[in-house]
Amino acid sequence: MTFAWPWLRGALAAAAVVVSHGYAGAADLVIAMPNWSSGQATANIIKVGLKKELGLDADVVEMGTLIAFTGLDSGQVDIHPEVWLPNLDNLVKRYVTDAGTVAISPTGVPAWQGICANRAAADEAGIRDISDLQDQKKTAALDTDGDGQGEMWIGASTWSSTTIERIRANSYGYAATLTLLEMPEDVGMAAVDAAEATARPVVFACYAPHAVFKLHDIARLSEPPYDPAKWKVVLPSEDAEWLSKSEASVGWDAAHYHVAYATSLREKHPDVVRFLERMDLKPEEAIDMSYALQVERQDPYKFAEQWVAKNEARVDGWAKP
Amino acid sequence: MTKFFARNRTEPGRRRFARFAILLAAGLAVATATALAAGTQVYDSKTRKWVNYDRTKAYRHWKQHKQVPEAFRPQMVKFRTAEKPGTIIIDGNQHFLYLVQPGQKAIRYGIGVGREGFGWAGIVRIGRTAEWPTWTPPAEMVARDPNARKWAGGQPGGPDNPLGARALYLYEGDQDTIYRIHGTPEPWTIGLDVSSGCIRMNNDDIVDLHSRIEVGAKVIVLMQGAALYKGV
Repeated sequence: MTFAWPWLRGALAAAAVVVSHGYAGAADLVIAMPNWSSGQATANIIKVGLKKELGLDADVVEMGTLIAFTGLDSGQVDIHPEVWLPNLDNLVKRYVTDAGTVAISPTGVPAWQGICANRAAADEAGIRDISDLQDQKKTAALDTDGDGQGEMWIGASTWSSTTIERIRANSYGYAATLTLLEMPEDVGMAAVDAAEATARPVVFACYAPHAVFKLHDIARLSEPPYDPAKWKVVLPSEDAEWLSKSEASVGWDAAHYHVAYATSLREKHPDVVRFLERMDLKPEEAIDMSYALQVERQDPYKFAEQWVAKNEARVDGWAKP
Repeated sequence: MTKFFARNRTEPGRRRFARFAILLAAGLAVATATALAAGTQVYDSKTRKWVNYDRTKAYRHWKQHKQVPEAFRPQMVKFRTAEKPGTIIIDGNQHFLYLVQPGQKAIRYGIGVGREGFGWAGIVRIGRTAEWPTWTPPAEMVARDPNARKWAGGQPGGPDNPLGARALYLYEGDQDTIYRIHGTPEPWTIGLDVSSGCIRMNNDDIVDLHSRIEVGAKVIVLMQGAALYKGV
C-alpha cells in the first residue's frame, strides 16, 4: 500500500516502469493507470464512462508516468488520468508544447500540501497555525521519545517534497523546536493512526486529496500564502549548502492534476476528447476514491461502475454532443 | 471499562536515541536488566491522575493482581487505518502493539521495549517464528556477563529462557534484522522500558499473537526514539 503521489515523489515518478505490457489488445483505446489509488479509480471511471456513453472498449494498463508519456507520444497509449502540474512540467514541455503529440485537459483538480494536525494537537495543544510550531510549550505535547522535544514526520526520504519541508522548517524556525522525521509514508500514517487510537496529539506533513482526511478528523495548519519572492529552493543535488542557501517561509504553491490524452484522438475520436475535457472531478471525490480503494480495499473497476451509476447525469453531460 | 491508559513520561535531557551497538550489546539481558529508568505513566481512573509506572510499582502490581494493569492487557480497540488486517503496528512510546483487524479495529497488546526506545523504526516483516525458542546471548554479553557465559552455545527454550514462549523474527527483505517480538519470563516488565532493542510481550499474549499472524506479515515500527534512523 502506498499513498504517494507523483508530485511528491519527483525522482521516483521518473523512474517508474511498466508493470504490465498487456496493452496490445483489441480494445479501441488504452488508458494508462498509475499506481496510486485516485489515479486507479479515475482510469476505471473513464473506462466505464466511455463504454456506457460511447460504446468504446478500453484497456486499463498499469504503467509509470514516463512510460505513459512515451506511449501517448507514440500512439500506444491514448489516455492518462492524472498528470500533475507543475511537477511534470518538463514532460509537458517535451510532449505537449514541443512535440504536440500529447494534450492536457484544461480542467484540473486542485491539490494542496502543508502541515496537518489531529484534533488533539489543534484543540488541546493549540497548534493551529504554522507559527505555533515555534512555541516549544505547545510542541512539547508532540514528544514521543521522552526528550521533551516534539517530533514531526515530514515525508519519505525519497520524496522531493521532504527536502522542501526541511527547508520550510528551517525558514520558519521550527526546525529548532521539533525533531523532523523522515520515514516511509506507511510509517508516518501509522503514527497518525496510533495517535488517534489513544487521543494523543500529532502533527505531520500532509497533502490533499488524501485518504487520511476521511480516515481521521484532520486540521490543516494556516500559514502565509505562497509568495514566489519568498520561495527560494536550492536542492541538495544542486549545491551542498542547499539548506543555508534556501528560503521558503510561506505556504506551498497550489498544484493541479489533469487528464492527458494523445492528440491523435482529436481526429480518431473527437467524442472522447470532448468527454475527457469536460471531466470535472473534485478534490473531495479524489479523497473518497483513495479511501474506497486504500482503506475499504474496493476493486477499482467495481468502484468505477458504482461511481458512474451514482453520477449518471454528470457522466451523461461529459458525453453530450 | 478501561481503567488505565498508558503514556510515556516526558523526561527532558533523557537521551533520545539508542545506537545499534548499544542495543546489540544489551541484547536480551532480561534477567540481568537494571531497568530503573522506566518512562511509563498509567492513568488511574479512581484518583484521576497520571502515576509513574516503574519497575517497583510494576512488580508490586503483578504480585498483587497476578496480571499487568488493564491498559497492557490484550483488548479489542477502535483503530482506524489504511493498513490491511494482519498488519502489526508497534508504538513503543505508549507500549502498545496493535494487530490490525477487519472493521477498523485492532487487538492491542501491552509490550515492553528497550530502555531508550528501539533505536530504530521502519517497515519490516515477520520472517519466521519459533515456539519456545533457543536464546543465544550476543558475544559482547558473553564477554562481560558470567551468567550469560554459560549459555554461549545457546540456552534451550523453556520457562526461564529470556525469549519466552514464542519469538517472531523480524526481517527486512530476506535479512534478519536481529530484532524479535518475543515472550518473557518476567511478565511484570510489560509496560516498561527495559534493557533490550527487542519487543517483549507476556507469554500468554505472544502465544495468542503467534496464533493469529502469518509469516510475511507486515510490521510497522513507529518512529519513537528513532529520530536519526531512516529505516532499520
